Parts: sequence; structure tokens; C-alpha cells
Amino acid sequence: MIRLAWSWVRGAGGNRQAQSRTQETGAWVRAVYVKETLEAFRDRRSLLVMIVLPAFIMPVVTLGIPYLEQRQQHQISTTTPEVAVVGQAPSLIHMAYTSKLFTPVHTTDATKALRERRVLAVLKIPANFQNLVAREAQVHVGVLYDASNPESVAARARVVDLISRYSQAVVARRLIARHINPKDLLPVVMDERNVATQRQLSGMLLASLLPFFIAMWAVVGGMSLAVDEAAGEKERGTLESLLLAPPSREALVLGKFLSVLTASVGAVIVVVVAMMVSLRWGYPYVLHTSQKLDVSLPVGTAGVMLAVAVLFAALMSAVQLSLSIYAKSPREANQFITPLYFLTVIPALAVPYITEWQQSVGTYVMPVLNSFFTFRELLLGTVNWGHLMLAAVSSAFYAALAVEWAIMLMSRESVIFRT
Amino acid sequence: MRLLVEARNLQKHFRSYHAVRGVSFSCYAGEVFGLLGPNGAGKTTTIRLLTTILRPTSGTARIAGHDVVRQPAEVRRSIGVLPENAGVYGRLTGREAIRYAGRLYGLAPDALERRIVEIADALELTEHLDRLTDTFSKGMKQKINVARALIHDPPVVFLDEPTSGLDVISARSVRDFVLRFKAEGRCVILSTHMMEEAERLCDRVAIIAGGRIRAEGDLAALKAETGKDLEEIFMTMVEQSVVR
Repeated sequence: MIRLAWSWVRGAGGNRQAQSRTQETGAWVRAVYVKETLEAFRDRRSLLVMIVLPAFIMPVVTLGIPYLEQRQQHQISTTTPEVAVVGQAPSLIHMAYTSKLFTPVHTTDATKALRERRVLAVLKIPANFQNLVAREAQVHVGVLYDASNPESVAARARVVDLISRYSQAVVARRLIARHINPKDLLPVVMDERNVATQRQLSGMLLASLLPFFIAMWAVVGGMSLAVDEAAGEKERGTLESLLLAPPSREALVLGKFLSVLTASVGAVIVVVVAMMVSLRWGYPYVLHTSQKLDVSLPVGTAGVMLAVAVLFAALMSAVQLSLSIYAKSPREANQFITPLYFLTVIPALAVPYITEWQQSVGTYVMPVLNSFFTFRELLLGTVNWGHLMLAAVSSAFYAALAVEWAIMLMSRESVIFRT
Repeated sequence: MRLLVEARNLQKHFRSYHAVRGVSFSCYAGEVFGLLGPNGAGKTTTIRLLTTILRPTSGTARIAGHDVVRQPAEVRRSIGVLPENAGVYGRLTGREAIRYAGRLYGLAPDALERRIVEIADALELTEHLDRLTDTFSKGMKQKINVARALIHDPPVVFLDEPTSGLDVISARSVRDFVLRFKAEGRCVILSTHMMEEAERLCDRVAIIAGGRIRAEGDLAALKAETGKDLEEIFMTMVEQSVVR
């Protein structure tokens, strides 16, 4: 590739021989690219992975999971849990009924009933509760709950709420009896306000989701093509005929690389668009909320993100193609590529938890991580142009290096006829 | 006659394995030269050395006047190759598969389309040209590979076990192409382990065993010299190579 770039530079400078070499290589690259892309379009499996799967999975992931979570929360908040009450405290129980925080029930073995999930919590009241309260002593009540059951955890919160309200009412009565204003117990009252705009909140949501999905689909989108175009050619017995034709190994690899890259970038675009559409229009509809998400990306940001995603996908495509060239069969190629998938997705998941790396220049020259941190900066609107340039140049360098590796492998007898 | 293939003391090592141990022969335009030998004798490696896909450890070869090591690009433009067990691109039609080969050989679009029609006609492929090759029989797939190998009208043709795995009718059809190539003045190098095929098609043969040529020459002369038929000569040579 470096030779080709040099030849192009010399050609542009007027060197006829270099010009004709560049034109010839360009025609070969085009021929390989067109053929590989045509075959990919006729392969239902790659189309399914590239377009259909991301288009369907993204709305499910971005809306389906929050929807299920919200449904559970809604159920918990609208139903009144049954709490077993052991002991007598008429005023407290009366407050439970009137506040509708929970429904007190009586049961013989309350702990067993809790374990069997017949009740969601147990409130244990000491025998002389009313007397102790009347004598202004401190009363200890017990709450039993099951931490492994979210509904029980919610019921516990309601019992705690009731005890707190009851305590406040008792305190207020005692203070009034002593001619003290209950408000005197709260000399400072806090009034809080969130200054983040809708766009910033959406940016944070996107920053936590997008890098992960871009990483995932940059690998998955091109995987079947990368496997098919090298290891698949070995298995079908078409590689030898291809290598016997005049095109240089450089031209063959570049044509194949560009078609894998097209699939990879295509899948990333489908994923990002499907996610934005589902968040923007599906969010208020599916989640029954009045909260609108401003998930539009400014054109400039979207363009820069696409450029960074293309460079990242280029590295992934070239590495996948190299592994496929090295593999003896498509099965072996898949075995080589699977760890690459995890090596990419895990850093994407880690990025929100290592934000302190964001300030280090070294982060922006680290392959893979540099792209994820750049996406994050772009989505949060905290772009540092120096970081962006560093990430772009280093990503392009790594991608070029990986393409050179693929060319080197394609030129080795021991790799082509590896048995 | 024009000398088109000239191999001189070709050798190839794969780590400790010495696959080809000094193969030399020549082949001329309008001639069918047979490389005869059992499986693993070194026939395919010899063809791969001559077609530039492998680089010889030592020795030289010239194809149509071009050196296989120093001028691989020129050699590739002068040869058409049908590798052993060659496959097809199943999701391309016959026409697309042949067109792809033509583009790789740099044929101009108009000339390429004319050549596809001409070659499909010669190989009786015309009515199947626009079907996906996945739906083709093995014999039809082999015809597509022959068409791909000849799209640029090369003077030298290498056929590595071209009838292997084909039914009787398809094998006969491939043998007819070989004779046609010869009639067209091409130089054909044919590797086979089938005596009958060699006797029917080859003007001269080289018997390869253990990476070496054990006997070489005109079929009639070989028979006259040894007083044996080709199969007996072949067996004798192979047995001798095992003893050595």
C-alpha cells in the first residue's frame, strides 16, 4: 500500500510509468471490489448480519430493555404490597391504611410467609409499643425483607417510609405540646436544580451506548465477508486461480479490504441510525413518558464521528482479513476472529469507567481505545481537536499497518498453502 | 517450432521436505507435454513453480521467453492455468465469473464481452451463461474454469489433473479441449496420473516420481526403447524411485 501510495504521488508528479501502474492497480482493485460486493449482496447470510439484524436488534436493545425495567417499576409503584405485622400498634397500623403505603396482614408464621413470598415484608412491633411512645421512650421496631426479591426491597422502603412519617408526626405532636414550632428543627432547607440540558443528558446516554455498538458492529458487520473472501476462497479452491492472474497481491488485498470495510461501515451506519430513530421517536411512545429526548446529532459532529468510525472499521476489517488469509478454513478464521470481537467490545464497555484516562495524550494513540474516547468527547460535546487529530492519524496508521500485514500474508507461500 | 516452456533443474524445498529435485524439460507451441506420476510425485509443485505461484529454491524456468522468478507478471499474462480441484464463485453467474477473470487480465470492456461470447460458444456454455454457477454440474464448473483460464488467449496452458472427479462425458469433453488447444497452436502442459489419458493426448511425456523426472520423451520412442507400454514403463520407473 505504501508502494502504491508512492507510485500515486510520483504519477501525480508527471511520471508516466508510475501513472500507468497506479491506473492498472486501480482497475484491479475496482474489479475485485465490485465482484466481492456483488457476491456479498447475493449472500443472504451477510445481508442478514449486516442490515436486518442491526436494524431489528437496536430498537429492541435501546427501547425494549428500558421498557421492561419501567414496566416492573410501574408495577411495583402502583401495587400496595402486603406486609405481615407482628404485634400491636393501632395508630401506626391506622397510618399504614390511610397512607396506602402497604396493606397490613396478620399471619401465624410471618418469617415463613416472607420466605414463601406470601407477604413481601414483616414489621415486628414490641408488645408495649403504644405505652413506650406515650412515655416518650425510644422504640425499636424490626423489619424483615428478602433482598433477592425486588418487590420485597420496595415493600421494605415503604415500611421505612411509614416509620419515618409516623416518627415525624409523633415528634411534631411533642414539639407543639412544648410550644416549639416543628420547623425549628429544619434550620436549612435545600432546593436543588439540575442545569444539564436535554442535549447534554442525551449526549451522556449516547456516549454510554454508541461506542459499544459501533465496536460490536464494526467487527460483526464485516466478519462474514472477511471469512468468505480469503479462507472461503481457500476452501472453495478459487484462491489459486486468483493468485495466478496478473494483479499484484497488493491490488487483490486492497479490493477485498475495501469490500469488507464497506460492509463494516454499512453495519455501523445502520446501527447508529436505527438507534437514533428508536430513541428519538420510540422513546416517548414506548416508555409512556412526557420526557422527550433530544437525540439529534449536529451534522458536523455526525460527519466527524463517521470519519472516526471509518478509520476504526478500517483497522477491524484489515485485521479480520489478515486473520482470514492466515486461516486454513472458514472455521479456523471464525475461531481467530472471535477473540478479536471480545478484545474490541471489552474496552468499549470499560471506557465510561476509566474517564480519568480522557486527559492523557497517550490514550489517543492507543489503538481501539483512541476511537472510543474520541466518540465520547464528540457525544458529550467536549471535543479537544488535538486529541481528535491524534486519534485520527494514529488510527489511520494502524489500519495501514494492518493492510500491509494482510498483503504480506497473501504474498507468503507458507500461508497460502498452509496445511 | 517455438520454444514456450523451458524448465532447468528446478528444485523446491518445503522446510526439510524436498518436493522437486531438479526437474528439466522443454515444451513447444502446438505440443501437449504430459507430466505423469503418482500422487505426491511433485507434478503439482512443478506446475506451481512454472506458473509463479511458488518460487523455486533453485533452478530457473522461462515461459514464452520470460523468467518465472524475475518476470512473474509477464509470465502470468502468457499462461492460462486450470489448477487441480479448482472451484467456482457460486454466487456469480457463468458470465460474471468469466468477466471477472477478463477484468483481472486487463481486457477492454468491448473486447471482453466479445471474447466471452466466443469462448462460451466454443465450450457450449452459451445457454447456461446467465445462471449462478452454484447450480452447475461439476463438468459445467470445469468448463467455466477452462473459460476463465483462456479468457486472455494465452499461448501456454497448464492443466493439473483436469479430468479428476469428472464423469465420463465431462472428462471426454475436457480431453477434446486439450486437443483443440493443441490444434490452435498452444503449448499444453498436462499433469495426470491416468495412463490412458496421457497416451491419448500427449505428444511427449515426463514420468515424475519422488520429485525427479525418471524418463522423458516421445511416447513412441519410449515404447520402442523399452519394449513396454506406457503403463509398464510408468510402473517400472515408480518402483525404481521407491527402491532408490
